[in-house]
Amino acid sequence: MHIYLPIAEQPINAFIVIGIGSLVGIIMGMVGIGGGFLLTPLMIFLGIPSPVAVASVANQLVAPSVSGVLSYWKSSNVDFKMGIILLVGGFIGSSIGVLIFNFLNNIGQLDLVIKLSYFLFLSIIGTIMFVESFRLILKVRRGKISRGKLHQHNWLHGLPFKTRFRKSKLYISIIPPILIGVIVGVLAALMGIGGGFIIVPAMIYLLGMPTSLVVGTSLFQIIFVASNTTILQASQNQTVDIILAFLLLLGSVIGVQIGSKFSNYLKGEHLRLFLSIIILIVGFILLSDLILTPSDLYSIVVLK
Amino acid sequence: MNTVFKLIFLKIMFLFVSVNFKAVAKEDIVADLSKNKVEISTTFSGAEILLFGAYEGKKNDDIIVVVSGPRGKIKVEKRERKLGIWVTSKSLIFHKVPKYYYIASNRQIDKITNVEEIKDKNLNLSNLKLGKVNKKLDLKEFNYWRRSLTRNMVKKNFWKVEENSISLNKNTLFRKTLTLPSNVTTGLFLVKILHYRNGVLISEEESKINITKSGISAKIYKISQEYSTLYGIFAVVLAVFIGWLSNVIFRRV
Repeated sequence: MHIYLPIAEQPINAFIVIGIGSLVGIIMGMVGIGGGFLLTPLMIFLGIPSPVAVASVANQLVAPSVSGVLSYWKSSNVDFKMGIILLVGGFIGSSIGVLIFNFLNNIGQLDLVIKLSYFLFLSIIGTIMFVESFRLILKVRRGKISRGKLHQHNWLHGLPFKTRFRKSKLYISIIPPILIGVIVGVLAALMGIGGGFIIVPAMIYLLGMPTSLVVGTSLFQIIFVASNTTILQASQNQTVDIILAFLLLLGSVIGVQIGSKFSNYLKGEHLRLFLSIIILIVGFILLSDLILTPSDLYSIVVLK
Repeated sequence: MNTVFKLIFLKIMFLFVSVNFKAVAKEDIVADLSKNKVEISTTFSGAEILLFGAYEGKKNDDIIVVVSGPRGKIKVEKRERKLGIWVTSKSLIFHKVPKYYYIASNRQIDKITNVEEIKDKNLNLSNLKLGKVNKKLDLKEFNYWRRSLTRNMVKKNFWKVEENSISLNKNTLFRKTLTLPSNVTTGLFLVKILHYRNGVLISEEESKINITKSGISAKIYKISQEYSTLYGIFAVVLAVFIGWLSNVIFRRV
């Protein structure tokens, strides 16, 4: 069944979009990644103009995030204090990000910087997570696991302005979460994503939060980042296609519920291994796009 | 039997149509479209319009149909390899480019008429008259960009040529189904019918198709443009509501 998208100005197969939405929703529910970095390229692949894809995906992200946070909240797996501190950093970061966006756009290198930073972040985070979770799984198999400290102590724990995060069982400085929030905010503004694929590994590895809390907390901050992006894109560029977002979120709200139930049966390290493989695949596709010779060196863009 | 009916039908059409049409040259060709208005609603997936007409023809006469859509700016980008990575290095903006251009004929166009006429009547995609470009380039380089524009417009199905696609019937009747793609742009489309005899244009007809958004799509588009912030807030509220609703439903399941 084809439905005409009023902003993207083309029809699209509704069932395909709902199907993609539910698949990405399942991944979201399982690992807390917003799915923006998966959905946006998929929508562009289906022929949606990239500005419309970025803005509409941000809009749809709000729904599964709300749905996911409510379920994680019920099982009390959201650290709201941490989420709010990340958000404060996020809003500072997105203001800086918009400035960088305009600067890069003016010198005409926006596309390249976005692709390169995407690739760099994906491959670094993907590799670290893959190696770490794979090692842990092997250790557990050999039965050599030692339950000692809750998390590794590093230089981050020596910073001032310490505060207690009861939920996460952490007593750390608020500087690292704010900085992580700032970085995520910058990237969110640049690439139009929720930033889950950066914030989730950062919470696990840099802050040492328990994996069970990470997903809900990440979804919590994505609600606000995605809402902010949607309203900004709608008012400044008129690129939010509400019909496309609606079709996507129909699938993703169902998927996210299935995913979050499914995640209870998986161990943290397995979840992280799964996540790292997805991240590496997307990074690899991006890399091949950057280094393979295109079939036509010239391409066209229809301007408004 | 069938052809006789068609002939009678077209003779009747001739009477109606000749009133509506403004013939540019001698009035020996008449044509009409099965519809002059295409409305893009939620279920739109392309449109087919039947073009039919009658002309006072002789053996070896030719018919060419040209459909041109609204014009706008098109940016052509060139990618170059820098440090092993393909980056967009240069771009050129063409002004007044038809976002849709379609040529159909009963036989090969360069056999119908001569080069000057083809150029003058915009019957060759590589030679379409376009607006200015945003940079000063020498001719050789310009041609390179121009060819890339044509190649990419054809690849995206925005421009299309179908020679040998018009069926002429006993030198008096012709018809052609015009297929508008599902991603067609909105606006006024000009349909030109050219009648050639021995390479000389002896008459031409013009008609228009108006393509507009209608129904819910038109309303959504209008609101997104006029009340853009409110539209964004509504989009977020809708997403929050559905997120909450799905959670309530799943809690019961």
